[in-house]
Amino acid sequence: MDFNRRVFLGAAGAVTASGVLAGCAGFSRPSGSSGADELSFTTWGSEAEEAAFRASIAAFEEANPGTSITLNLVPYEQMFENIDAQLQSNTAPDVFRVDYSTLGAYSSQDQLLDLSSYFDVADADAFIPAFWRAVQFEGTPFGVPHQTDTSAVLYNRAAFEAAGITSVPDTLETAWTWQEFEQVAQQLRDSLPADRYPFAYNWQQAGVTRWLSWLFQAGGRFLEDDLVTPAIDSPEGRKALDFTKSFFTKNFVPANSSVKSSTYASDSFYSETSAMLFAGNFLLPDVDSFANFEWGATYMPRDVRAASDLGGNALVATASTEKAELAAEFLAFMVSEEQMRNFCAATTELPTLQSLVGADIDFATRPDIMPIFVEQATTIQESDVAQLASPDMASINTVLSDQLELAFTQGQSTDETLAKISEGIAAATA
Amino acid sequence: MTTPVLEEAAAAPGGTPRAAPSRRRASRRRALNDALAGYTFLLPNLLLLGVFLFLPLVWAVRLSFERTGGFGDGEFVGLDNYIRLFGDPIFWQSTLNTALFTVLTVPLSMIIGLALAVLMNSVLPARGLFRTIIVLPMVISGVATALVGVLIFDQNIGILNKLLRFVGLGAAPWQSDGAAAILSVVLVTLWIRCGFNMLIYLAGLQGVSPELYESARLDGAGAWNQFRYITVPMVGPSTFFLLIMNVIYSFQVFDIVYVMTGGGPGYSTSVLVTYAYQNGFVTRDQGYAAAIGIVLLLITLTFTFVQWRASRTRDLVE
Repeated sequence: MDFNRRVFLGAAGAVTASGVLAGCAGFSRPSGSSGADELSFTTWGSEAEEAAFRASIAAFEEANPGTSITLNLVPYEQMFENIDAQLQSNTAPDVFRVDYSTLGAYSSQDQLLDLSSYFDVADADAFIPAFWRAVQFEGTPFGVPHQTDTSAVLYNRAAFEAAGITSVPDTLETAWTWQEFEQVAQQLRDSLPADRYPFAYNWQQAGVTRWLSWLFQAGGRFLEDDLVTPAIDSPEGRKALDFTKSFFTKNFVPANSSVKSSTYASDSFYSETSAMLFAGNFLLPDVDSFANFEWGATYMPRDVRAASDLGGNALVATASTEKAELAAEFLAFMVSEEQMRNFCAATTELPTLQSLVGADIDFATRPDIMPIFVEQATTIQESDVAQLASPDMASINTVLSDQLELAFTQGQSTDETLAKISEGIAAATA
Repeated sequence: MTTPVLEEAAAAPGGTPRAAPSRRRASRRRALNDALAGYTFLLPNLLLLGVFLFLPLVWAVRLSFERTGGFGDGEFVGLDNYIRLFGDPIFWQSTLNTALFTVLTVPLSMIIGLALAVLMNSVLPARGLFRTIIVLPMVISGVATALVGVLIFDQNIGILNKLLRFVGLGAAPWQSDGAAAILSVVLVTLWIRCGFNMLIYLAGLQGVSPELYESARLDGAGAWNQFRYITVPMVGPSTFFLLIMNVIYSFQVFDIVYVMTGGGPGYSTSVLVTYAYQNGFVTRDQGYAAAIGIVLLLITLTFTFVQWRASRTRDLVE
């Protein structure tokens, strides 16, 4: 056969095309889960979380010789777009991490492994009931509650001293009422220059559900007991919205700290633009690094009741995994008392096991402040969790974000805002 | 001894009936071989375009006729998604914002690009350095540039407001006022896009013969007249190309808006692609998002077609 230019180019083309196509076929598949004793595990995480996950994986592999877990670490911003695409194309990892508000979108559409046959009643009873409730859909568990986090108030000691605020509540029972909190904010407003603010609230972007803490504190709810009918257009809803709108009209918060802002509340605390910050405990390592001033912490304000946000994440296995047994075993290992204790200590996050509530966990950052968050987490009630774990939370979040933004920045009235949120929730749950 | 070639050559002048079909066959074979070679060269590109452009496009059209819930097969709903678009005020506001963004960024970025190209084509000292500085934002990822934009335009701790306060002017509400927010997005876009426009115009300018300027000067034309009557018409093909590309870029803007403002405050910076993203990837309403994408495609195609038919200088050469 003559080996001329045309033959060479043809062969080169064929080789290139097959290479390109081979590459395409495998580009989205998480690596390393082909063997019978191998699992792929996809998560996002801070440096501390990554190190803690790697330590747990190493411990699992050591306890189960021959098994291998491949950790795929992805940025949070891309996490669920990737997972959605992988589930659609049947290339999803065996196990992944998911927040409680997003879990319902997967469990309600048969994308997750039913764990009923792997976890018995005793296993379920080991968890704080609210969190076991958060991983269920219609009574069936589809994940394990791995950790939780919640918000409390951090404050700049110097700004408080300058405003003449000499003490903050040191028990959950004596937490500021809304009126007391408003007085503190006003006191700070009066003492701070115009370009500094009393506080910043952490409801930006995916954190918009944290606005619901105000609704719960006012004694309200956004879904009725049937978890379908909107309940937000109520006197409690009106009270919560009026109170939070006043943060902007009274210049208590920076004008650019609304729910769609690209600037997170924490940035304004680090730069001392805000004297107080509503922050999740997972943020403490960052606050410790970036806030170059003396700061302390206290409880969230309360109204009719105390409440805070349901942060944290579950671990789930995909319905399509071919290694269901091993995946369930891995999930059980990750929520064992020893692993959960180590993970929470290293990452400054809170446990979901009853046995670790009140336990002496050796938190890596500000162990003096962590008990405030531990106690604050007890204000999350099962009825709050039932609503927050609705499978329609993605659509409800969008409605909340759009309408709260209009109320906070565009002067939309409270009545119109509540009516539109209610309408949006009804459409989402229909 | 004679060769077949000579035999054929000897027979040709006489025009024997057997020679002509044989030549035609040979000519057809050559044409076929040439076409085959051409398609072989095109094949990798056609394959890539087919797999990554046309196939997803057809899929998107199909998806736009379906109601989807995130997973599994969609349900065919005909034109429902398109009908829903007409009654959706956020879609219309996003369309208006996209049009406003396009009207502001396209002419401004082209004017600045041409001005910079003329400057860089002159005897400016340290031209290489300036060219690099101007082109730099183009080679950095859009998200990274937008994050720099956030640092500049943050209304509490941003560099720009600190500067404004320092010179005695008040801080501007870049993130809490709709008009200021869209202006901040436009300014960062201009910063990114001027470099590309400058490069294309510079290439166009370097193809313009110096003799044209010399004869204009001999005829008494000043700098402005040389620019107006020689430079502007002679870079017509570049202008045509840039107009199409800039309009497409502006209609497709996503990363800058998503990172800098997230579509807010309110919906004042929401554009078609951020709205499609919100529907497709946040609320998992992919059918509706696909319908927004198809409308965007139709708008872009219509503009390109009109511009193609209307432009008189697109093929102008010396």
